[in-house]
Amino acid sequence: MSLFNISKQLLRSVLIIFFFVLAGSTVAWGAVGCDLNDPDRDVVRLFPESTGYKTIYTSIQKKGGEKLLVTVEKRLGENFKGIYETIDVPYTIYEIFSNKKKIGYIHGVNQKGQFGGIQVFLALDLKGTIKGFYIQKMTSQYAAKLRDAKFGKQFVGLTIKDFDHYDVISGKPSGPLETIKNPAPEAEADFRSALRATKKNLILMDEFVYSTQSVLSSGEAPKR
Amino acid sequence: MITKFQVAYKNLWRKKVRSILTVIGIALSAWVLISLLGFNRGYENSLNKDIDNMGFQLMIMAKGCPYEAATLMLKGGTGLRYMDESIMKKITSEPEVDKITPILMSAVFDPNKGESGGIAAYFGVEPASFAAVKPFLKFKTGKWFTDLNAYEVVMGFEAAELEQREVGDMILMPDKNVQFKVVGILERTGTQDDGTIFVPLKTLQKIFNRPTEITTIGIKLKKGMDSTRLEDKLYQLPDVQIVSLEQVKQTIMKLISTAKIMVLSIAIIAILIAMVGVINTILTSVWERFQEIGILKTIGAMPRDIFLLIWMETLILCTMGGLLGVILALILSRVTDILIRRVLPYAPGGGLVVIDLKLVLVTMFGIIFIGLVSGIYPAWKAGRIRPLEAIRGEGGK
Repeated sequence: MSLFNISKQLLRSVLIIFFFVLAGSTVAWGAVGCDLNDPDRDVVRLFPESTGYKTIYTSIQKKGGEKLLVTVEKRLGENFKGIYETIDVPYTIYEIFSNKKKIGYIHGVNQKGQFGGIQVFLALDLKGTIKGFYIQKMTSQYAAKLRDAKFGKQFVGLTIKDFDHYDVISGKPSGPLETIKNPAPEAEADFRSALRATKKNLILMDEFVYSTQSVLSSGEAPKR
Repeated sequence: MITKFQVAYKNLWRKKVRSILTVIGIALSAWVLISLLGFNRGYENSLNKDIDNMGFQLMIMAKGCPYEAATLMLKGGTGLRYMDESIMKKITSEPEVDKITPILMSAVFDPNKGESGGIAAYFGVEPASFAAVKPFLKFKTGKWFTDLNAYEVVMGFEAAELEQREVGDMILMPDKNVQFKVVGILERTGTQDDGTIFVPLKTLQKIFNRPTEITTIGIKLKKGMDSTRLEDKLYQLPDVQIVSLEQVKQTIMKLISTAKIMVLSIAIIAILIAMVGVINTILTSVWERFQEIGILKTIGAMPRDIFLLIWMETLILCTMGGLLGVILALILSRVTDILIRRVLPYAPGGGLVVIDLKLVLVTMFGIIFIGLVSGIYPAWKAGRIRPLEAIRGEGGK
């Protein structure tokens, strides 16, 4: 057998193994979470002054169980929907640092949209005010309009208080939310989904972080 | 009347620590041996199950076409090659073929996935033939398409979870802007099907303007059929490549066999050490009871009786050690499983260490046999003790 044949056979074996591992690989069998696709890039984009970040994983189950779920649902004004919005959904909180100082958080949630899952991320300062709004994923013919920075800018400066009276069932904005314009009236369902996701995101962050600041890390900032 | 067994048992019990240590030595060897044999069987069973879960043993693609969705994604949705579905007629007529299913893989660019967009992949399938080669696919909710030309999708469990879809929801194919109704969500399978969106083959062919083309053919062989013969014939077809899952299995088994040989060597060394331990324990016990054996002989014990008595001790040690080893192996099989999984580069799903009654009996028989062989020399030595020398205390020095 020539050297060429041996290496060809070896290459074939490696390829076959690679295929098999890919095809047969299993993934974690938990509820699906919401992470930034490329945290190194996305964190800088959402927090240009950041120099590093830490990642914290939590869930309603971990932080307060059934009692917390009831609280979150009550504040949201609607029970968690469907089989994908559950107590064990893992949430990823990015703690953002500028040098050694913590300057804010980034947190994303999944939300059911008209044609697929929507992932809404919020960049929040230490008081819970929205500094940035980012729809990471949305399947819609009008997704580009809703993902546009102009739409996101309308959320900057809002806090959980501004969403307190937002009725996620009727989807009718009130108070400061009335100024938020839907750039794609044809995609009203997805617009409402984005608002619901924002309210859910803020409530979760309030329950996970702002009401229990000490639980989260306050140590030295990690290096990027 | 006291039996030989009782005498042998009491003799061993006189030196508890030594006997217990010998039993532990044998038990450890038995544990390693049974775990290894259990792994040998379990790994192959699990691998076979994983391969069966893929539904087909052979896949035919146009030359250069990615094998499956993951590779397609890695290639950015490009590189698909197509073959005409008429090729299926030639394959179906082969005697080795049990079932066959056509697949059309397609990918579209979704600009609204992340910052720079992403790829969404779709599998066009014929429900009847696809379900036949993958009978393990079960619906969590809903069912297959109502029509072969319907604008409907069946989603793998994780695809549905990610897209937050339930039966009755709509889904949009980006780029093409085609809407589909979700008619079924599959249960989790642990395979790539979990992340797949299935569309009726004809519908997908129409959307991508490839009315008679497919990318993959999955072939399920008849039971006991040799895939290599069929592979040789299929290689005669123009411009196709064949991936044999039997080949995949063989390659993995070859890689694993190296690890198995190493563990088997360790098991053999452990057994040899245990054998030496048994010989040492029994021989020491014989020397310690040199005078006692001499007295037994003077009161009428024949060499055969002494031989059997000493052999009985070996038998007791080995049986106890073997039983303890089996119990250890049964209790720790899960731990062994986890440890093996950490060491091996690829481990299939399911139990890697399978211990059944047959394996237990084979191991017990093997341990007792090896023990008895180890006991021959000390027993023979004891049987040959001369009573007079023993009473004088000469031979044991």
